Amino acid sequence: MTGREKAILELIQFSKQMNEDDNAFNKSISKNKNKIFEKYLIKDIVFLAIITCCTLVTGAVMPLLVNVPMFGIIQLGLGLQFSIFPVIGLMKVKKPFALLLQSIFISVFLVFMFPPMVFLIVCALVIELLTLLIFRGYKNDWACVFAATLYMPMTIPLLYMYYNVFFSVSGNEKAAVSMFIGGGNIGVIIGISFAVIALCFVGSLIGMVIAKELKKAGKLK
Amino acid sequence: MKFFCVKNNLYPLIAVFSSVAILIFGLVNAKSIECTYFLIGVFLWMFIFGFYKQAIKAFIMFVVIGGIFACIAYFSSGKNFNSALAMINRFGTIFLALVPGMSVSTIAMTRNLSQLHVPRSVTLGMLITMSFLPVLSAEIKRVREAMKTRGVGSIFNVKIFYRAFLIPLVCRLVDISDVLALSIETRGFMLGKANYTIYKREQINVLDIMYILGLMISIILLVVL
Repeated sequence: MTGREKAILELIQFSKQMNEDDNAFNKSISKNKNKIFEKYLIKDIVFLAIITCCTLVTGAVMPLLVNVPMFGIIQLGLGLQFSIFPVIGLMKVKKPFALLLQSIFISVFLVFMFPPMVFLIVCALVIELLTLLIFRGYKNDWACVFAATLYMPMTIPLLYMYYNVFFSVSGNEKAAVSMFIGGGNIGVIIGISFAVIALCFVGSLIGMVIAKELKKAGKLK
Repeated sequence: MKFFCVKNNLYPLIAVFSSVAILIFGLVNAKSIECTYFLIGVFLWMFIFGFYKQAIKAFIMFVVIGGIFACIAYFSSGKNFNSALAMINRFGTIFLALVPGMSVSTIAMTRNLSQLHVPRSVTLGMLITMSFLPVLSAEIKRVREAMKTRGVGSIFNVKIFYRAFLIPLVCRLVDISDVLALSIETRGFMLGKANYTIYKREQINVLDIMYILGLMISIILLVVL
């Protein structure tokens, strides 16, 4: 065998090896893509924290709203902000429990502002489980929209229970309670609940549009 | 002897505990006059322990907002003083529960949680969330200045708000987050089970114990009386 033939054989073997390596690499990538649970990186945590900071800043009206004990007022006031930013966060960090992490970051501060809003963690956990069951994670953009749409409305029943304890009164105070809470009327409850869900859905869609624009610009990798 | 040193801040977990305790016992007993005495006592106790700035801020908010709702409750319940008192107590409780939290700095809370081996992803995220506020406000200012320079128009126009304010702001935030993550990584920060040191440990002080003992005694008095 001449030296030229030897070199050609070596080249062929080398290219075969390269192809095998590429295939193995592609397989590992597709395996990672099929994985539901992925490890969090520092950049994921940092981005989620920054997005949570935006949510916190835009939700600064909370201390004023919590003192207006009208049924669903907090959700109506915060629904838009609490759906736009979480969607952006979820569309960049498409990993399970991203919403839960955002809730934990925000709850650490809300516990001093309005302790019952710590229920957000419970709500986020329920939504995460629902999203995992239905969409198997956040790979699908609509999964992000689904999670962010339900995020705020989920707090309605929990806060309603809280208000019932907070204004758990009898006798003469009942008039004040029904006026404040507006929870005695089933029509009001259903109406406000639907309004909150609609508002959060609009917010989630806006968030998705923003995230898609960022993807186009190559910012959300 | 750090245990006997005078310090300005409460031990972070004691601050959280006292907020929650004030809230629970204040709300449960809101309808009684004893609750008013309890709130006044706790307010003075906080004053003694040096949280007067935070206490005065909370008091001003309480007078304005609590006053409005007390009036509403008074007139809506047929001029019943008890309703107004219950409302005053509830709002007093909420605002008083804010005070210990206002006295704790974010870094102290983060150190305390790190000492307790809370996952590093949580403490890192918490720290960034709170320390990022000034950066965010500076970025908002910059984007608005850029809008003015380009003569874009009013920010209240939805289209302009979206195209010229929201998108550039979020783009900047993504850039900042990438740079920040990179700088954290280059400083050797790890999310896994790596050993780490805490530069300044938070320690329970004699003042913390005195504060919490006073609070517990007032809660016991409230419940017993």
